[in-house]
Amino acid sequence: MWSISKIASLVHEWLSNTFSATWVTVFEMVIAGVLVISLFAVLGLILVMMERKVSAWIQIRLGPNRVGPKGMFQSAADTVKLLVKEGMTPNGADKLLFNVAPFLAIVVSMLLMAPLAFAKDFTLWDINIGVLYVSAISSVSVISILMAGWASNNKYSLMGAMRSGAQIVSYELSAGLSIMAIVVLTGSLNFNDIILSQADGWWIFKGHLPIWIAFIVFLIAVTAETNRAPFDLAEAESELTAGFHTEYSGMKFALFFLAEYVNVFIVCAIGATLFLGGWMPFHIGHWDGFNHIMDFIPSSLWFFGKTFFLIFLIMWFRWSFPRLRIDQLLNLEWKYLLPISMVNILLVTAMAILKWHF
Amino acid sequence: MYLVNYIKEVLSALRSLLIGMRRTLFYFTHHKEIITEQYPDNRATLKLADRFKGEVVMPHNENNEHRCTGCTACELACPNGTIKVITKFDITPEGKKKKAIDKLVYHLELCTMCNLCVYACPSDAIKMAQTFEHSVFDRNQLTKVLNFPDSKIMDGVE
Amino acid sequence: MSGSTILFYMLAGLILGSGLLSVTTRQLFRAAIYLLFSLIGMAGMYFWMEYDFIAAVQIVVYVGGITVLIIFSIFLTQQAGELLPQAKFSRSLFSALASFCAFALVMIQILGHTFPTKTATTVDPNVKNIGYQMLGVNSGGGYALPFEVVSMLLLAALVGCIIIALNQKPIKK
Ligand code: SF4
Ligand code: SF4
Repeated sequence: MWSISKIASLVHEWLSNTFSATWVTVFEMVIAGVLVISLFAVLGLILVMMERKVSAWIQIRLGPNRVGPKGMFQSAADTVKLLVKEGMTPNGADKLLFNVAPFLAIVVSMLLMAPLAFAKDFTLWDINIGVLYVSAISSVSVISILMAGWASNNKYSLMGAMRSGAQIVSYELSAGLSIMAIVVLTGSLNFNDIILSQADGWWIFKGHLPIWIAFIVFLIAVTAETNRAPFDLAEAESELTAGFHTEYSGMKFALFFLAEYVNVFIVCAIGATLFLGGWMPFHIGHWDGFNHIMDFIPSSLWFFGKTFFLIFLIMWFRWSFPRLRIDQLLNLEWKYLLPISMVNILLVTAMAILKWHF
Repeated sequence: MYLVNYIKEVLSALRSLLIGMRRTLFYFTHHKEIITEQYPDNRATLKLADRFKGEVVMPHNENNEHRCTGCTACELACPNGTIKVITKFDITPEGKKKKAIDKLVYHLELCTMCNLCVYACPSDAIKMAQTFEHSVFDRNQLTKVLNFPDSKIMDGVE
Repeated sequence: MSGSTILFYMLAGLILGSGLLSVTTRQLFRAAIYLLFSLIGMAGMYFWMEYDFIAAVQIVVYVGGITVLIIFSIFLTQQAGELLPQAKFSRSLFSALASFCAFALVMIQILGHTFPTKTATTVDPNVKNIGYQMLGVNSGGGYALPFEVVSMLLLAALVGCIIIALNQKPIKK
């Protein structure tokens, strides 16, 4: 059967037979870069479309329905519009930082793509400390927002950036602690090890209540980290025009927009990997027949299915809940999520030592 | 005790969030009852709500007669100065002079569709219509005369 | 020149260049951003040496933590948007001298040190190993004691910060 990993190894073989080792590395880097960029484009189109359709259905509307069959090409048309728009730099702005910020945002999302396991035996960079790497790199994304907010020289932008900075810095803690729960159980920071440890059942089923708590805390924290409603007060339209990207237009705005959606994809992919088994098919204990049938569904489908399920969940949050105030936001983190996840990690550790999980 | 309250608070918060999400999921799965009007595709079948007000009109009957007495109550009631009643004096068969309208000028571009003129009219001569496609290329077209040319007041309306 | 060497020089250029810009720029916020790039370059250097764990920690602590803190304090200070005054010549001279001395000290150390080629196999950065190293006492090759001492220092600093920030009026009897 054809799988992504097989295609990858075939390409690698062909390249190593034709070129010298250095050129193989260079070519593979180029191929990986092109793949990541095209994945970005496709994800941007799909996620924007999905968001608009989901929001429409939740609000009993139709959503975009003019461009193409059922409006499916609306986001492509929007992309063209953004591409041909003029990218303005305001006069009073810090020109250098203003123009660097969107690229920093998108580069951070690209770096975050690297350790994800998209399918069985298919990772761009199977780094040993994947989980730590992800939480490290994602902490850089706040810098691009702070940079954009400052360089715009606009009070709304600065305020949005400040809010978003406070929000990301504080929610990183509980996101990290809930990720830590899984690391404690598996004893590894490597994404592939974590996935392999779920061969006999995903952690969400094996881990009892503490993992459920960790999962809920993780979902709330990553929703906040990606600046999405109900935690979107960094760009709260009704208060701050558009927050940190008020002054951005054209392609630079599009890059921020794209980075936001790709970040949603990435955090959902991480959530799916840690809690729902990544590309691991749905296995139940020792029902070998059942497990075997499940193995026939390709692993990449499992991965994308779970990821898109989580993305849908986050979109569902966005269109259900009203926006929080800044004090409510910080209360939620420091008075509720953080203490709960700290107690929770103690519970998980006890569970891991006593081997109470299945 | 504090801890019990804390846990209760968290659980009730989660419960209320779930109730909200159940509601939106219900809407998400029931997209049959879409409220979007696909104007202009459905122009022929478009149904507007009864309370929708598009513009002020003056109904006439088949003999080209209206009910307006020219009392200018509507002009006084209008907060925007939208209506201008221009009166004239008709000569009745008995030879008396009688006040009647020459023109009831209505500036659509000033109207806020507040319905006050319709309330004010003592003889029910004007009402709100439901037309809404008012865009024109020349602003002058928005100044309308509501009574038809050569129209008369209905018999029996004082 | 192999690709690896080219990468090394690129990273070194990034670190030095942005470091230099960071001390010479007259815009406070830009200085912070240049510092950030310099720190990222150092993390890149660790990645280049395949010390992934240290690289990630470098990013978490210095980029995600300290630089964000610096940027926040810049945001909260007044007149942070204005140009800094031109440094006095004598002051730049002394700073240059001081940094040259530090540089010379480090270089003397490095040049005098004989680097043993490949001491051991690369450090195994799995969680168990890290955990044992962090929590084990000295005899087991762990660093629990120094770790705790450092954390005492941090605790003292935190308590000091809180006391300074409190600044409450004494309660009247
Ligand atoms: S609807 Fe209101 S604004 Fe319009 S003409 Fe009547 S009174 Fe004036
Ligand atoms: S429309 Fe009614 S209120 Fe206005 S002048 Fe005629 S009768 Fe009077």
